[in-house]
Amino acid sequence: MTSERLLVPDTTAGPTLWTRFLAAPNAVRLVSLIVVMSSWELYGRTNPIFASYPSAIISAATRTMVDKVLPALQTTLWGFTVGFLIAAPLGILFGIALGRVKLLEVSMTPFMMAIYSTPRVTLIPLLVLWLGIDFRLRVAIVALSSIFPIIINMHAGVKEVDRELLDVGRAFTASRRQELLTIVLPGSLPFMFTGLRIGLARALGGVITAELTAAVVGIGRLIIDGARFLRLDEMFVPLILFGILSISFTAILGFLQRLAMPWHTAATKI
Amino acid sequence: MLLMDGIHKSFSGNLVLDHFTLNVAPGEFVSLIGPSGCGKTTALRIAAGLLAPSSGHVVVDGEPSMGPSRKKSIVFQHFNLFPWRTCLNNVVYGLEIQGVPKAERIARAHELLSLVGLESHAGHYPSEMSGGQRQRVGIARALAIEPKLLLMDEPFGALDALTREYLQGELQRICAEKDLTVLFVTHSIDEALFLSDRIIVMGVHPGRVIAEFPISLPKPRGDYNFRAEPEYAVTREKIWDLLQKELVHADTDRASN
Repeated sequence: MTSERLLVPDTTAGPTLWTRFLAAPNAVRLVSLIVVMSSWELYGRTNPIFASYPSAIISAATRTMVDKVLPALQTTLWGFTVGFLIAAPLGILFGIALGRVKLLEVSMTPFMMAIYSTPRVTLIPLLVLWLGIDFRLRVAIVALSSIFPIIINMHAGVKEVDRELLDVGRAFTASRRQELLTIVLPGSLPFMFTGLRIGLARALGGVITAELTAAVVGIGRLIIDGARFLRLDEMFVPLILFGILSISFTAILGFLQRLAMPWHTAATKI
Repeated sequence: MLLMDGIHKSFSGNLVLDHFTLNVAPGEFVSLIGPSGCGKTTALRIAAGLLAPSSGHVVVDGEPSMGPSRKKSIVFQHFNLFPWRTCLNNVVYGLEIQGVPKAERIARAHELLSLVGLESHAGHYPSEMSGGQRQRVGIARALAIEPKLLLMDEPFGALDALTREYLQGELQRICAEKDLTVLFVTHSIDEALFLSDRIIVMGVHPGRVIAEFPISLPKPRGDYNFRAEPEYAVTREKIWDLLQKELVHADTDRASN
């Protein structure tokens, strides 16, 4: 009897503490956060000039938040918001027009591809020359960064609407306008949100790039100053804050998408 | 009700339909059956006005009808429901396109949903329904505009065998209740025999009508064992022989090409 071995793991025994821990993702994340933060803290304290560390960053945050960081953030976000709110509707409309009007599609695509594939940083000197280095530069770089992914995705969405659904519209004698409103637009919503998400990420990158290269105020400037004066603790404050904001914007877009496309949520519920 | 006269259709030089002629009387249920590639779906799409024939003409209810019109409605093989519309709003679609006032079209859609037995699913999205339920919505959507002619393109082809048989019975009931005129495309001899007043057998290379069988078995055929009737067995045998020959023909054609 003692030589008998279980070939199958004994599942009748209750879950161990370890398996229960693994089944709780939030607990795992909390522990990993604690581990990463304390390692950073320990390493940072041995090399405070070039590495900084969490407790120093927190104290820098309380020191600089009101006087420096928030005004800089306001400047950056204002330019970003105006730029993105110009780019989003324009990009969506232009993308739809490209997908629906053959002449426009054929004539405009080469230009779009040319501008889209040019790295935006190369445009900054020209934009500075035209627009200066403040609000208008931010708006322009944000709009330029985000509008092309929005156009291109919207265009793809309009082109890739299910042909069989278009047949339904035709069979029920839908006009071209009705086809656009009842089939093409709802059908391309997923593409629109993909475009907005990519556009958003590129716009956030764009505004910081512009500030790093040209600005005298804003979040980008604060980051450069921190590095230049070796105040890494102060540099990390706007950096982390901006990261959190970027994540929040993406989350807001995700929320809007679920709101606009309840059938998608219905599909994943099953 | 439907007249298709001397229809030819070729795709890039390839003759798909050769002198296809068909007449469907009001209240009649006619099935098109044939092997893959015989052009039966092409014929149906031409009847629907979704496809233009290379020559020939289509008349519906006494009027030339070369494009889609309010007189005809189509049920698709893959349902083609709008995933972003609820069951009710899918049924409403045709009426919405026609500009029927909202209260009226919603009332009509509810009526049709209860006809197909899905009243309780009005607020569900297609993704929350089974294939059989989705096709019932497809049928309700097609009937909502009160078409003179209902076109069905292998409507039960994508469903499992049990659901298919159930929906065949449902369709027969609805056809009787609404006195529908139907042109029905199918792969299945049994399905055609169960539903049709007349079966048109089509051949391949090129697609054309090769035979026609009126079916006089009394309806509804779900009420008795219609498969035990001699007419069932005899007609089934004849159609099967014809299709068998066409399949061999199609095969040798492919080999000699």
